[in-house]
Amino acid sequence: MNALPRWLRSARVLMGLTIITTIALIALLAPFIAPHDPNEQNLISTFLPPAWVKGGDTAFPFGTDSLGRCVLSRLIYGARIAMTVAIVASLGAMLIGAVLAHIAGYFGGTLDWLIGRTVDVWMSFPPVILSLILMVGLGIGLRNVILAIVLVDWTRFCRVLRSEVLVVTRRDYVAAARLIGFSHWRTITREVLPATLPLLITLVSLEMGIAVIVEAILSFVGMSVGATTPAWGQMIADARQYIYDSPWSLIFPILMIFVTVLGFNVLGDGLRRTLDVRVTETQRT
Amino acid sequence: MSLLVANSLTVSATLDGEHVPVIRDLSFSLAPGKVLGLVGESGTGKSMVGRTVAQSFPPGFAVSNGSLSFASADLVTMDTEARRALLGREIAFIPQEPLSALDPVMTIRAQFDEHLARIGVAARDRRERMLELFEAVHLPRGAELLARYPHQLSGGMCQRVLIAFAFASRPKLVIADEPTTALDVTIQARIVRLIAEMQERENTAVMFITHDLRLAAQVCDDILVLYAGRTAEYGSACNVFAAPGHPYTRCLQLANPAMRKRRELYALPERMPGLRAYNAITGCAFAPRCPNAISECTRAPPPLAEIGASHFAACIRAARTADIAAAAVSPTENRAADATILDVSGLTKRFASGGLFRRFELTAVRDVSFTLRECEFVGIVGESGSGKSTLARLIVGLEEPSDGRIAIVGRQMDGSRDAAEHRRRHVQMVFQDPQSALNPRRRVGGIVTQPMEPSGASREDRLARAGLLLSEIGLPPEVAMRYPAQLSGGQRQRVNIARALCAVPRILIADEIVSGLDVSVQAQLLNLLAALRRERQFSMLFISHDLSVVRYLCDRVLVMYRGELVESGPTEQVFATPAHDYTRTLLAAVPPDDPAEVWQALSA
Repeated sequence: MNALPRWLRSARVLMGLTIITTIALIALLAPFIAPHDPNEQNLISTFLPPAWVKGGDTAFPFGTDSLGRCVLSRLIYGARIAMTVAIVASLGAMLIGAVLAHIAGYFGGTLDWLIGRTVDVWMSFPPVILSLILMVGLGIGLRNVILAIVLVDWTRFCRVLRSEVLVVTRRDYVAAARLIGFSHWRTITREVLPATLPLLITLVSLEMGIAVIVEAILSFVGMSVGATTPAWGQMIADARQYIYDSPWSLIFPILMIFVTVLGFNVLGDGLRRTLDVRVTETQRT
Repeated sequence: MSLLVANSLTVSATLDGEHVPVIRDLSFSLAPGKVLGLVGESGTGKSMVGRTVAQSFPPGFAVSNGSLSFASADLVTMDTEARRALLGREIAFIPQEPLSALDPVMTIRAQFDEHLARIGVAARDRRERMLELFEAVHLPRGAELLARYPHQLSGGMCQRVLIAFAFASRPKLVIADEPTTALDVTIQARIVRLIAEMQERENTAVMFITHDLRLAAQVCDDILVLYAGRTAEYGSACNVFAAPGHPYTRCLQLANPAMRKRRELYALPERMPGLRAYNAITGCAFAPRCPNAISECTRAPPPLAEIGASHFAACIRAARTADIAAAAVSPTENRAADATILDVSGLTKRFASGGLFRRFELTAVRDVSFTLRECEFVGIVGESGSGKSTLARLIVGLEEPSDGRIAIVGRQMDGSRDAAEHRRRHVQMVFQDPQSALNPRRRVGGIVTQPMEPSGASREDRLARAGLLLSEIGLPPEVAMRYPAQLSGGQRQRVNIARALCAVPRILIADEIVSGLDVSVQAQLLNLLAALRRERQFSMLFISHDLSVVRYLCDRVLVMYRGELVESGPTEQVFATPAHDYTRTLLAAVPPDDPAEVWQALSA
């Protein structure tokens, strides 16, 4: 027996975890590592290229934007929004989706039909437009961004998990637990949930990547946290107008989103490969 | 002139960089028109022989020595193209799982057409040939059948279709790998008869791979018994069965419950060594389980010695094999008390199926009434779809009856909470498939004491109880800390039984708990149940499609057919003088204990 659990020995999981932990640390320690206030304007030195390019200034390692704000500092503070949204929104969506999925899959019948049709109707709205409409209704702000993502994306969890719950519920050990005298609650938490948990964890890590993208889209159209809080999508929107004068301030936020989403996806893929019994069982045989 | 000849064939596997011979020094010959049976428990390597013919090995497996020649051409060294030309034409296969061998999205016609095209039947003749073959395998309404998809056919029909496929090219050799294991008893006889018929008509040689020695004795001309990849015994079917030379053959024979005489089952202890242990075996691989073993047995592998007219056995004490015997059992000491513990009357279950507009009802159980007395073992027999599992689920409360009453230990089940609690205290169920019935994420100790969980028993209490239960079912206490995946199939089924016994129920319902297990494991479990019965006071409803098992264990038997109870009575009486036609069919479908006897199902 190895001391490390199987999933921690996977290269994908390790790589994903490294990327995510780094970005999370950057977000946590933003006030200490950012060289400037992210909103501090320096109108004399606008459109500065990164320090290593000719004409760069070492005071602004990644250069400045149209208002002379430090790109690096804005990226660092932007990570805070991205990570908060990624974690809180995906956990929120998971909670609603997983609870409904377990109810639908375990009890079946009318409840299953009702939840299934709700998901169908919900999913027939284009997700980005639905979240935009929600943002218009709710107003901008971090809490509302999270709420909008949760309200749109719980269906993803519900649909995928429901079928898994359905499979597990048909197992004889679930029937055996009922015969032994387990209550429904105990049967779900002790017998069904442990079997669906690997899928749940995998879905959460993939959803985190999706949440980062949705937040970037919302802030790109100015429907996220407001102009005073730096966010990656917003930075892209600002830099878009000066793409020929100063491509750098466009490239950096795009790179950040890319790396973050990649990190979550690699982590999710690694977890799926190591936790999903259907994959690991076939490999063992 | 032999058709298929194996000459000291050795197949090796590479496991963790080590070479392990999966089959060692196998030699046999199969003449045209003859049937060779390969017999052994799962893991003996019997399927590997069939795979060697097709050279389709799992990764890491390869022939490392010897030869296997078909009509004087070596299949091992033959190039792929030449072999491919033989397979499907000269050599055909009948698979174990008929349903998974057919493509579910293609009609029978499309699949048959593909096969006939491959073996070179001209397009305009194909339809006629298909119908001709369907007639040969006794499939009625062949023209309609062609348009069907595999899921619209029963398992038995699918197997017939596959037999038609196999014989389409008039092959010289047919390899049948457990062709009846996945099928009902009643169908087993028909399929076996069909293979025999086709084989006689075309003078085909058949390699019949099976774990059932009794079946092999009926069907085959020669039998080769494999153990841990080596030949244990090889000879004509009559000789091998009548006077087994190897203790393993004898033990297999004694592990199978007899239909005529009731005797104690000989349960082989332990298990066959796993592949990884092969290299460590110095002497006879069977010695650790052998009742006749002496110290000399572990020194060197015993040579295959001739013990009779072309009858070989790999045992240095072959002369003593006949001494192995299982004690005769006095006809079930009738300990059943008079008190009725379970009373079922007029029980009916209908399932609604179909869509929104076309609804129809299916009656799974129709008007079933019977009683179970205290300490009585009652068997329920019938083929799949006869409603026996639904009946079990109704009694334990996993399904609600549409009609009728169930009374358990003097209390009517009326759907109230109290009644459910009462039922839970007195009735427990052992599920068929331990793979699915044991939560893979719980330790064995937690599983067997699961009934104590809702009451919040302490960890110490549970561990103590787990140790007690495990010793009762014959497992060492350290098993409590393992996960089900770390146990063998037989051990898992024991754990499954232990969990049901934890709450000390008065009625145990066992749904096909020994089917799908090797005979030796089956014998261990049946003896365990018989022992538990002596020690504990409980009644059991034992559901099975295997009549010999029911014959061994039960006082009374109920025969179900299409949801109805068609016959019931004391086991001896029902088996000796069956009253209902269906019971007679069921009884005739079991191969007789003595191969010299005529198997009616084959000759009819």
